[in-house]
Amino acid sequence: MKKTIAIILAKSAYSTGRILGKSGTALPGLLAEKVDGNLMSKLVKGNFPDGIVVVTGTNGKTTTSKMISDMLNGSGVVHIRNTAGSNMRRGIISTLIQNSNLRGRNKARMAVLEVDEAYVPSVCSAIKPKYVVVTNLFRDQLDRYGELDSIAKSFEKTFAGTKSKLVLNADDPLVASIGIKALNKPIFFGISDYQGDKIINDHTADSVFEQESGEKLQYLQRYFGHIGIYTSKNKKYTRPEPNINLIKMRSLTKVGSDFDVKISTQLKKINISLPGIYNIYNSLAALATTEALGLGVDEAIRSLSKTSSAFGRGESIEYSGRRVKLLLIKNPTGFNQIIQTYLKPKPQSNTLILSINDNIADGRDVSWLWDSALEDLSSYTGKIVVSGSRSYDMALRLKYAGFNMDNIKIANTLKQALDLATAADPSESGIVYALNTYTAMLEMRQTISRFSAVKLKGISK
Amino acid sequence: MRAIKILHLYPDRMNIYGDFGNIITLQKRMEWRGIKSTYHPVSIGDDLKGEYDIIFMGGGQDRGQQLVAKDLLLKSDIIHDHARRGTPILAICGAYQLFGKYFVTSEGEKLPGIGLFDLVTRASDQRMIGNLVVQNDVFGEMVGFENHSGETELLDGSLALGKVLKGFGNTSQSIGEGIIQGNSIGTYMHGSFLPKNPKVADFLIEKAVHKIEPNFVLKNLDDSLENKTLQSIINLTN
Repeated sequence: MKKTIAIILAKSAYSTGRILGKSGTALPGLLAEKVDGNLMSKLVKGNFPDGIVVVTGTNGKTTTSKMISDMLNGSGVVHIRNTAGSNMRRGIISTLIQNSNLRGRNKARMAVLEVDEAYVPSVCSAIKPKYVVVTNLFRDQLDRYGELDSIAKSFEKTFAGTKSKLVLNADDPLVASIGIKALNKPIFFGISDYQGDKIINDHTADSVFEQESGEKLQYLQRYFGHIGIYTSKNKKYTRPEPNINLIKMRSLTKVGSDFDVKISTQLKKINISLPGIYNIYNSLAALATTEALGLGVDEAIRSLSKTSSAFGRGESIEYSGRRVKLLLIKNPTGFNQIIQTYLKPKPQSNTLILSINDNIADGRDVSWLWDSALEDLSSYTGKIVVSGSRSYDMALRLKYAGFNMDNIKIANTLKQALDLATAADPSESGIVYALNTYTAMLEMRQTISRFSAVKLKGISK
Repeated sequence: MRAIKILHLYPDRMNIYGDFGNIITLQKRMEWRGIKSTYHPVSIGDDLKGEYDIIFMGGGQDRGQQLVAKDLLLKSDIIHDHARRGTPILAICGAYQLFGKYFVTSEGEKLPGIGLFDLVTRASDQRMIGNLVVQNDVFGEMVGFENHSGETELLDGSLALGKVLKGFGNTSQSIGEGIIQGNSIGTYMHGSFLPKNPKVADFLIEKAVHKIEPNFVLKNLDDSLENKTLQSIINLTN
């Protein structure tokens, strides 16, 4: 009975919110959970006969979920999926309610839920996912999460004795070690053929020490941050052999990549139309998940090749006749990857917008800007517009990274930033790369849709 | 003048809050004045060699800190000697705590610090997180971002770095933030701290330079962007 009241309440809050034009998804969940504290587990009970997939990790949750979802669609598996904006407890409840009838039933065979790292213990204990995918663990928004070690520790505890099948990144020592006490053997994905980024000031090597002893890990190959091929006297911190193993990198560009992957004993050629090494990791995570699910691998690879950018992760939008590419930045590792993938290869003809907010969803602490390898871009000669509540912090970071400050403009609003970036200048015909923190990205999209005649549509290239 | 030697203690382990920005700031503000500097990262098991001109250490994860604390005790005498000779020292967050007399963990265990600062720190179950605005007579208003659960008590006679205008500071109840003792500064301010507080950066640089050339005059730099950044953060907290 409590459950039904909670669902009715949430559903009416959801439709009222829609009438008022609000896109917030947490409120219905908040109301519903107030009425029935056990609502989350009740909402999944008897539903999703083929299981729930939880996708978590610092970077790549949204894209990996989208890839898995595309693969499920390709195989005709009816499922539901939440969005990045609703990956905390209440958002997940809201998603479950929106997709169910008043008795809490729905027709989906599966659910693919991305879950914020901090909520993994409570969400997993409520919904008992059949599969849990962990992409990577980097420092991110320490003010909200506490420290990286405590996240890893909470994961290890959550998955001790779990029946969930874990899908883990073999190349991230923090992630690979969390399944050590799980009941089922995890499925590992990893890259065995990559030369590594050439980041000049990489301050993102978070986890190169063993948790218990503090011993330094030995790296045979370091790709970026603490990702790579590592070994240790302690088996727990020796890289496991990946079950889904990239053994040949054919090409890696800012529009897509080609590579060969060994899946169990089969060798498969894979092509994706998303850029950068991080999207290769997302692809491997998604493939490993479909392997765990027992979906047809060729069908999965076909779907993967068609996956386009997720919300704000490389969508192109037009504004004032210029192509604006929206990219999310939220921590130094992600920022470095975007620099390496998009900006460093051919930096001169482009324009950059950097909008940094410090709302709770962005992380209140902007210290991470100083750990990002902006020095790698300091020879950039194009125009840069900074904006957001921390625009001055961003500008100052650029000054100390050695940028020519004559090229840098500070905008008071995102609208002004877009106008300054796209202002007529015959020498600038390239893409406008808009790098935004989470709330700045939401604001940026809203601004573009309000002031641009072009309908918002995510296109991948 | 010979190059200024910057000693960075445990950069591989005490580095989680963007504290590299402090090193970048020291290097750049010297470079812009034509002062040469060299960078010397030193970690667990490494020896300290010779004379350093500026010493910096940042904050780390709690686990990393215990191993560092042990190793730091081995380096304590040399750090004390440097401080006695007027070497400027900046210790932030975890380093600030370890430079005190001791740290009491939540289990009641007393971890010895190197006792450079006359202070003690006790673990608490409250995490103090947010923007800090701190007033100092010489440096004016300073800004930073704090994120700590340790409560630091300054012992009799020691001087706080400044008065808390916004945020928590040394404890959840305190009116003071950080410590200043001779040419050594301890603080909870990340952010990074020095880029936004160029007067403090120049204080450290000046003390370092004066060890070598007592009459050296630091050239003024254009700090308009630094000051606007500082002001923008003060405005955010209002």
